[in-house]
Amino acid sequence: MRANLSGVRHFFLGLMLILPLFGGTAWAQAQGQDTQAQRQQVQPGNNAPTWRKARSSVEGYTATKGRETGVLIQSEGETWRQLRNGPITRYGGWLVVLMLVAIGVFYAARGPIGLHSPPTGKMIERFSAFERIAHWAMAISFCVLAVSGLTLLFGKHILLPVIGHTLFSWLAELSKTMHNFVGPIFLFSIVVFVLKYIGDNWPRAYDLTWLVKGGGVLTGEVVPSGRFNAGEKIWFWGGVIGLGAVSCASGLVMNFPNFDQTRDVMMLANVVHVIAGLWYIMWAATHIYLGTVGTTGAYEAMRDGYVDETWAREHAQYWYEDVKAGRRALPSGEPGAAASATATAPPQVQH
Amino acid sequence: MARMKFLCDAERCIECNGCVTACKQENEVPWGVNRRRVVTLNDGVSGEKSISVACMHCSDAPCMAVCPVDCFYRTEEGVVLHDKDMCIGCGYCFYACPFGAPQFPQTGAFGMRGKMDKCTFCAGGPEMDNSKEEFAKYGSNRLAQGKLPACAEMCSTKALLGGDGNVIADIFRDRALKRGKGAEVWGWSTAYGKPDKPQQEAPKGAKS
Ligand code: HEM
Ligand code: SF4
Ligand code: SF4
Repeated sequence: MRANLSGVRHFFLGLMLILPLFGGTAWAQAQGQDTQAQRQQVQPGNNAPTWRKARSSVEGYTATKGRETGVLIQSEGETWRQLRNGPITRYGGWLVVLMLVAIGVFYAARGPIGLHSPPTGKMIERFSAFERIAHWAMAISFCVLAVSGLTLLFGKHILLPVIGHTLFSWLAELSKTMHNFVGPIFLFSIVVFVLKYIGDNWPRAYDLTWLVKGGGVLTGEVVPSGRFNAGEKIWFWGGVIGLGAVSCASGLVMNFPNFDQTRDVMMLANVVHVIAGLWYIMWAATHIYLGTVGTTGAYEAMRDGYVDETWAREHAQYWYEDVKAGRRALPSGEPGAAASATATAPPQVQH
Repeated sequence: MARMKFLCDAERCIECNGCVTACKQENEVPWGVNRRRVVTLNDGVSGEKSISVACMHCSDAPCMAVCPVDCFYRTEEGVVLHDKDMCIGCGYCFYACPFGAPQFPQTGAFGMRGKMDKCTFCAGGPEMDNSKEEFAKYGSNRLAQGKLPACAEMCSTKALLGGDGNVIADIFRDRALKRGKGAEVWGWSTAYGKPDKPQQEAPKGAKS
């Protein structure tokens, strides 16, 4: 019970402290207090104003050049420690576990989203080679960042007790180096991906209908959509772009500490980064589930670039009709009406 | 066993930077790293005070708590040390430390900071006492030789005291009583305000 209460307290502390404590303290202390020189006039030997200064983040003079070397004591560090080691690690960790369990339960209860009609055996191109490379560059660098980031945050509690200090520190060093260099690659791959895919992710009126019906995931109804459905579009805007921007921006603040940014800025960036990163990982887990075992035929589409025409009709009806009617080209740029003609161009693996 | 602490008497410190120099010379610290520094408040105006600051070897050390590889340890005498072979240079100890003690030899583009370096209370590191390897990574191990930190020993005004916490607190109390002012012990509530965490063994790894 006690542990529980302190947990709840930590949680609220966490929520409330994130913003105001960073940088707020110095301001509060600069308000309306006398200087040491004034105090000495009335109370010789009373050094309270000086000690107040020493406890705030006010910089004094020092011959030692460097970042914040004139600050004697900073207290934001302790706040950050309480947040990161406390609620962020504890609740963040359990949330990720919970998400994985929920996905497992969903799979057990619902099973994969299959096709309603039998496959035609005729294949249609869904992703061009360039589109697939753009997707996989982002996906692979994301996974590297996720695994290495999780190692830095939770490894001390999960891996270290099992594999020992020597091996774990080697792994952590590798994780950190990978994370620090793959981060900017990930950012670049997001930009390329977004430029390539933004057109087909533009919101349309029929996306609302899709959302209202929950994509028919539970009812089993086939709900028409464009090339990407509303769920995928929300992931595109909120996840890939939204969380991508937040995690990359905050990551870069920590990744390039050579601009003399102060500690409170980097700690704030860390808190934002971890929270965004963990949401990103949880959301991506659902996307990865739906793109692999959760939907028959989806993984092959991203691997080989082709889907069965039944798949295309059931998962992306408006797009399929547009392509068949010749209103839009195939992903690789070939005219759409030629789709059935080129359907003989075989994907390597099919089942 | 004595609990080692630092105490800087702000009534006495004259900002000569002798401690800073003593530390550099004793430990041959890497370029760009300063394990100790002197900060002056109210510089050049009435009420000027200088304080020499380095790692205070905290009781419940924030650096130790946030290190993702858990490379810190406390000796029986309460000195907070770390293992550079395990440090990944993430900078988290530098974020968390109230006193700005952890330092890095590189500027850190792409997070490449190098191994963290900080004051060891002249107590070296996990290598064999006073070995060549220990000196190269951490500097002198004066404690193993029965001496106290070089900075405090060198201090010309004896403003900086380093040693058994009870002994230096007594010295300071006597001084404050005699002079009738300046009884504030700078930094102690931050560093030693919480109970000492139990002594922790050096992380076990392959050591040459
Ligand atoms: C441009 C992209 C990114 C950059 C530049 C970046 C950079 C960083 C940096 C510098 C750190 C501090 C630790 C270190 O020095 O290695 C860090 C930690 C971390 N990152 Fe990233 N990152 C990026 C993207 C991501 C993404 C996409 C995720 C999630 C999938 C993520 C998850 C994490 C986690 C969990 C930590 C550990 C935080 C902690 O231990 O407190 N990062 N990142
Ligand atoms: S002063 Fe800083 S580096 Fe030294 S023990 Fe305390 S938190 Fe760690
Ligand atoms: S820089 Fe080194 S000692 Fe400091 S927290 Fe990171 S791994 Fe630990």
